[in-house]
Amino acid sequence: MISNLLNTLIGTSLYCYFQLSASPFTVFIDSRNPILVSLFRSSAMAKDPVRVLVTGAAGQIGYALVPMIARGIMLGPDQPVILHMLDIPPAAEALNGVKMELVDAAFPLLKGVIATTDVVEACTGVNVAVMVGGFPRKEGMERKDVMSKNVSIYKSQASALEKHAAANCKVLVVANPANTNALILKEYAPSIPEKNITCLTRLDHNRALGQISEKLNVQVSDVKNVIIWGNHSSTQYPDVTHATVTTPAGEKSVPELVKDDEWLKSGFISTVQQRGAAIIKARKLSSALSAASSACDHIRDWVCGTPEGTWVSMGTVPAGLIYSFPVTCRNGEWTIVQGENFSIFPVVFPLMSSQGRS
Amino acid sequence: MFRYIWSFVDVEKDPLVVLVTGAAGQVGYALVPMIAGGSMLGPDQPIILHMLDIEPAAEILKGVKMELLDGAFPLLKGVIATTNVIEACKGVDIAIMLGGFPRRKGDSKDLIFRNVGIYKAQASALEQHADSNCKVLVVANPANTNALILKEFAPSIPDENITSLTRLDHNRALNQISENLNVHVGDVKNVIIWGNHSSYVYPDANHATVDIGAGLKPVRELIADDQWLNTEFITNVQQRGQAIIKSRRLSSAFSTASAACDHMRDWILGTPKGTWVSMGVYSDGSYGIQPGLIYSFPVTCEKGEWLIVQGLKIDEFAREKMDAVAKELMEEKAVAYSCLH
Repeated sequence: MISNLLNTLIGTSLYCYFQLSASPFTVFIDSRNPILVSLFRSSAMAKDPVRVLVTGAAGQIGYALVPMIARGIMLGPDQPVILHMLDIPPAAEALNGVKMELVDAAFPLLKGVIATTDVVEACTGVNVAVMVGGFPRKEGMERKDVMSKNVSIYKSQASALEKHAAANCKVLVVANPANTNALILKEYAPSIPEKNITCLTRLDHNRALGQISEKLNVQVSDVKNVIIWGNHSSTQYPDVTHATVTTPAGEKSVPELVKDDEWLKSGFISTVQQRGAAIIKARKLSSALSAASSACDHIRDWVCGTPEGTWVSMGTVPAGLIYSFPVTCRNGEWTIVQGENFSIFPVVFPLMSSQGRS
Repeated sequence: MFRYIWSFVDVEKDPLVVLVTGAAGQVGYALVPMIAGGSMLGPDQPIILHMLDIEPAAEILKGVKMELLDGAFPLLKGVIATTNVIEACKGVDIAIMLGGFPRRKGDSKDLIFRNVGIYKAQASALEQHADSNCKVLVVANPANTNALILKEFAPSIPDENITSLTRLDHNRALNQISENLNVHVGDVKNVIIWGNHSSYVYPDANHATVDIGAGLKPVRELIADDQWLNTEFITNVQQRGQAIIKSRRLSSAFSTASAACDHMRDWILGTPKGTWVSMGVYSDGSYGIQPGLIYSFPVTCEKGEWLIVQGLKIDEFAREKMDAVAKELMEEKAVAYSCLH
């Protein structure tokens, strides 16, 4: 608490400090508070802009994501950003329209926008890359067809990132099949440190938190430490063994409060696994705002750190495969949560099924 | 800082109930995560969202509610997704009206006719069920006239609580100036949008300034091109919506949503010192504009109230433009009233 207050007074970690309160902080602040305003101004002036690349930016998820980035939801209310948006030539006009809307919104943190179909221009100097672009699976397509189309996309983007991105560029792959696309990227960009290539399982993580909060009728912000093991696909496994709910009487174990192991091992898992399909059925479009929001959560926690006592799920590469683990983040690095009494069931089961699949 | 200190004293703010009508549409989809994420009312203000749309959109609305839950937004304390206008309006503190009949090819009379019925019904429900100090922002076009209908049929909602959105044009105007001068948009302020969000909108840079580091300089002086300011600048802002439709094949959604957040945030939390913004508000005769219209003026905001900036010099050119848009609004008002009587 004291060191956090000190940080706040110095003004360098204001955003991260607010993050400890588990409240996503936004770009503005009550302008009637002169101390905070001047702290903000001085820290805003002190920071160089971070370059954030979004591929597939002309699509649905991109459209939800770019205003979140420009408003400071991804990197904090005192972090200026320069947005690089990449898409394919048929989407160039639409991408230009997105750029126009970005500038029309007069976001104070947005210091520049590049909208391009040129992968080299897009990747140049980039500090954070969110890969939303990919070839989606269409009806009647075999899995291997989807994969071969994505291999060529991720191979060329890997090359460009490796040659032109800033050192220590952090990469988040969102486009499905996310784990596989991230693996391809890693293969063809060997000089990008393995630990810097991740894929998104935060959406499933947040969906699991949401399901628990609904079941127990508590606020979702009081639920934490679910784990998403494995692959963002229908074999992924949401595990609540170590999840807790913050109650006035302290932290309570989720399995104990739910008192329904049957549901936790079946209904709960299949609801989270099939949530994407449920949303497509309702909206006639796939999830965009929740995907974008969880991409922001993933990057923000990675860069600014996870709150004390809380872990999140990230698809990472500790042993040559991209696999989702529970991690904590500090000083821009993730660490797999160790030393917990995790059963091997969640680790072994999906691995077995993924071998069967390829 | 607030959260940590407050958590010791255990004082969390009561949630504010925010209604979004037409929430299943494009602008709604961009707006609801902004509200849930704290961009509209601040990082320490919990929210309960009420989303309203018509029956054909009920499934889609349900999908949006699912996604909001999946967003695990800490500030979002509840979501109601409904097609029932009374349920939607109950206890509402802030109402953002996105819902309305979209413009089809044809004249704007048609647009007015279609929307009068909607805004009459929603006015009733708001008056009877919303909080007595509910603040309303009308976005759906024709915004000013829809807001006027709302005001007519919700007489117990204070006049000053019903506004329309011209912040999008305001932000677009700031951007046009920043691009022309190659400065950052955050350094430009105090443009004025007079009148109506329509093809007659008049963006006025006469009192706008740029922060050049060594103080504030008038935009007129820095641009040194009155010709551009009186022609292209104006038409760029007027036609920007069309330009975006041309590129995206869809109308502006997130920039509209963002402007709605800016409008509400500044209204409730206050404008920064020395800065004004543009809001469509109930005219009181200021600047020689006919009272009884919803007309966009330069305003400052403090303690949840807006105040028209008075005493700005209006030159002949501006006068003409301001009167032209007032005339357009009076015509729209007449058309709207003719459908009602």
